[in-house]
Amino acid sequence: MSEGARGSRLGRWAWTLSLLTVAAASGVLAYLLSIGATTPSGFIERHQAWLYWLNLGVGALLGLVALGAALRLAWRVRRGRFGGHLLGRLALVFAAVAVGPGLLIYAVSYSFVNRSIESLFDVRLASALEAGLDLGRATLDAQVEDLSQLARQGARRLAEPGGAAATLALARLREQWDAQRVALLNARGEVLDEATPPEASLARQRLPASLLRQAAERGLVARLEGLEDEAAALRGEALIRVLVRMPVTLNLLDADRYLLVERQPPKAVIRNALAVQEANVEYQRRGLEREGLRKMYLGTLTLVLVLAVFVAMLLAIQLGNHLAKPLLLLADGMRQVAAGDLGRKPVLGSGDELSGLTRAFAEMTDQLGAARFEAERSVRALEAARGELQTILDNLTAGVIVFDRQHRVLRANPGAAAILEHELPEHEPLPADLQALDEQLWPRFAGLADEDEDFWQATLELRLRAAALPITLLLRGAQLPQGDWLLVFDDISEVVSAQRSAAWGEVARRVAHEIKNPLTPIQLSAERLQHKLEAKLAEESDRAMLVRAVTTIVNQVQAMKQLVNEFRDYARMPAAQLAPLDLNGLIREVMGLYPDAVETGRLVAELENGLPALLGDATQLRQVIHNLVQNALDAVSERPDGRVVVNTKQLRHDDGSVRALRLSLSDNGPGFAEQVLTRAFEPYVTTKSKGTGLGLAVVKKIADEHGARIRLSNLASASNDPGGPPQGAVVSLTFANLAGGSAAS
Amino acid sequence: MLLRALVTVAFMFLLLPAPAWAQGSASLEQLQLSRGEDGLRLAYGVKLELPRAAEDALHKGVPLYFAAEARVARKRWYWRDATLGRAERQWRLSYQALTRQYRLSTGGLHQSYEGLNEALTAVRRASAWAIELREEPDPGAAYVLSFSLRLDTRQLPAPLQIGLGAEAEWGVRSERPVHPAELGLAS
Repeated sequence: MSEGARGSRLGRWAWTLSLLTVAAASGVLAYLLSIGATTPSGFIERHQAWLYWLNLGVGALLGLVALGAALRLAWRVRRGRFGGHLLGRLALVFAAVAVGPGLLIYAVSYSFVNRSIESLFDVRLASALEAGLDLGRATLDAQVEDLSQLARQGARRLAEPGGAAATLALARLREQWDAQRVALLNARGEVLDEATPPEASLARQRLPASLLRQAAERGLVARLEGLEDEAAALRGEALIRVLVRMPVTLNLLDADRYLLVERQPPKAVIRNALAVQEANVEYQRRGLEREGLRKMYLGTLTLVLVLAVFVAMLLAIQLGNHLAKPLLLLADGMRQVAAGDLGRKPVLGSGDELSGLTRAFAEMTDQLGAARFEAERSVRALEAARGELQTILDNLTAGVIVFDRQHRVLRANPGAAAILEHELPEHEPLPADLQALDEQLWPRFAGLADEDEDFWQATLELRLRAAALPITLLLRGAQLPQGDWLLVFDDISEVVSAQRSAAWGEVARRVAHEIKNPLTPIQLSAERLQHKLEAKLAEESDRAMLVRAVTTIVNQVQAMKQLVNEFRDYARMPAAQLAPLDLNGLIREVMGLYPDAVETGRLVAELENGLPALLGDATQLRQVIHNLVQNALDAVSERPDGRVVVNTKQLRHDDGSVRALRLSLSDNGPGFAEQVLTRAFEPYVTTKSKGTGLGLAVVKKIADEHGARIRLSNLASASNDPGGPPQGAVVSLTFANLAGGSAAS
Repeated sequence: MLLRALVTVAFMFLLLPAPAWAQGSASLEQLQLSRGEDGLRLAYGVKLELPRAAEDALHKGVPLYFAAEARVARKRWYWRDATLGRAERQWRLSYQALTRQYRLSTGGLHQSYEGLNEALTAVRRASAWAIELREEPDPGAAYVLSFSLRLDTRQLPAPLQIGLGAEAEWGVRSERPVHPAELGLAS
């Protein structure tokens, strides 16, 4: 597009330049034509040739430009380029309008000028003038001849012996001939004697030597002089001069003598002859000039025609462009709009109706574009809101499922799939594994409509896999405005577990209280029975039986006491007394209780040095560690290569400051059974043959008191087979409740 | 008709630099320079035949003008040559149909001749054309003599000049170095 714009700018420059040149050239030519042959100096005439060639060159250049433009137009029409036909037709019309009259005027002017110049010179008139000139010449020649005859006679008469006195004779001859001057000269041209009219001036010029020489050769020379200067000739300075050699006489004084006669020709003859000569010269000159004039006028005329035609063509093309441009602009804009481009449309600034049209069109597309932009913006806002909602749904831990009336899943969030541990494809019913859930839903949803309630709520124990413990779901259903069903559910297994723990604590407390009281009397009574009766029994076998029975009673009571104490401890755990303490020190202290395990390498500590002190109750934490270590050692007791690792570690923020401390115990025992894993912290859940099942429950409770997070997990099997037996268990406790300063290890 | 006119005009101008005016022959036969008492003396001889068209025009009453110019200049490498001396002469040759006489005027001087050849003789040669010196010649400098004798077409009637062009002047033009002896300098 930019290249095109550049091209059109260049083109415009070319147009302007050539038009200017043409205007200048036409101006020069018009000037030439108007002053043409009338300049006295002939300057323009001398330079007309190269001016002509220059103009011809300009004309050729213009012709090339016009031809190029025409070819381009033709090419565009041929290629079916947009707007080509319109442009071409406009240019043709304008060119015809401009060129036609020009050609007509040229033709008429050409013949007119040709004929005018032709009529400047008429051959018959020319020959008539020639004849007139000849007549004048003959008349003058006759005058000269006449005077020559007279002079010859006079010379003879003067030469006759006994002639009158020279001076007198000369004066007589002068009067007789009506001459200006009659003189007698010697061979060197000196005046011997002469007769002049009294009013004649004394100044007289010497005779030209050539005249004397000719007279000497031919005996007589006659010449008409003084006609060169017409004014002078008409004033009477034209002279017929005759020089005759005097006949040789016997009484010759010295050498040859000459008689000179000067007479004015008749003034009328002179005047007429001169007039005819002048007219003739003028007319002949006109004949000579004819060709030049014809060349100039016709050449200039043709050149002007050529230039005018080219200018007309250029103007036609330019005008066509000018007229067609807004239409093309509009049509192009229409096509762009149709193609969906609502960008800013160009507007012509010429201020006429067409430019108004382009402006209106541009405004319309602007408004369209604004409306579309507005619509797009609201769509974007809507999408953003929906995306936000979607994000919330996706990150919700609760499960959300929308069903249609055909019980198919319309939409389910990732939380739902995570809780149900099943993929929930859209537009399909719930998987067959979730039959139990499926059955529960529909009667309740159907009941919504019947009972005119907003929602229903229910809890459901759902066994997702055969081996696993069932999870407890809190279901809540509602009907969406468009008739779909919305199911929101949450896994409340942990909540239930916590409730169960609390209930257990209460039960344990009461049972312990009720059971513990009678135990001491039972033990004491049994011991007393043994003490009193042992001696009285004569039979050895009876005595032995008594001792055995009492021992059994005492032992069982002891065991029961221990059991009750544990229950009591669990239920009545005192509130933690938080104080800074050193975790590593605590661990070492506890490990001191297992010297055998430490020595045999079954219990290993991997402690990180420089741990900061954490806020905790030393007694309770000691019990936690003790319980965990005992559990782990119990887990590996069956294995000869059993090994328990106690590990402490600092968790850091991104900026390097300590965030929390982690205590973890890992063993390589059989790991947790799957159903235990979720409920391990509930009291009385145990895998051991002997044990109250309170160990981990106590740990959990203490950890809760300390604000610590506890996690149980199995180590993956060595063969990386998820279904295989686990390679041990890991219990980790994360303490975030740190004391301000760092405790020395 | 239009096409014919266009073609005619085109040919007219293609043949423009009227060859008739260039047909006459002119060549320089002699060009001598000598030192006189009060300046330089130039002697020249030119073989001159009038072009046919010029003679024709002359006989139809158009006066012809001849111009001769001689210039002795000192060569200057750094500037235009300095003029040592310069002389110009102009002749007007006309024909009087009434008396069949040719009249040659130069300055205030007129002379009539019976024949064209005689009249041209006065133009063709000169034996001692005086060139005034503007400065004394410098023995160390180089001088050139330029001489031209031409038919001055600028004096023709304007329409006759159409297409002649500025350079279409007919005549001789010559330029040669000047020997120091010609300037009267001891060589």
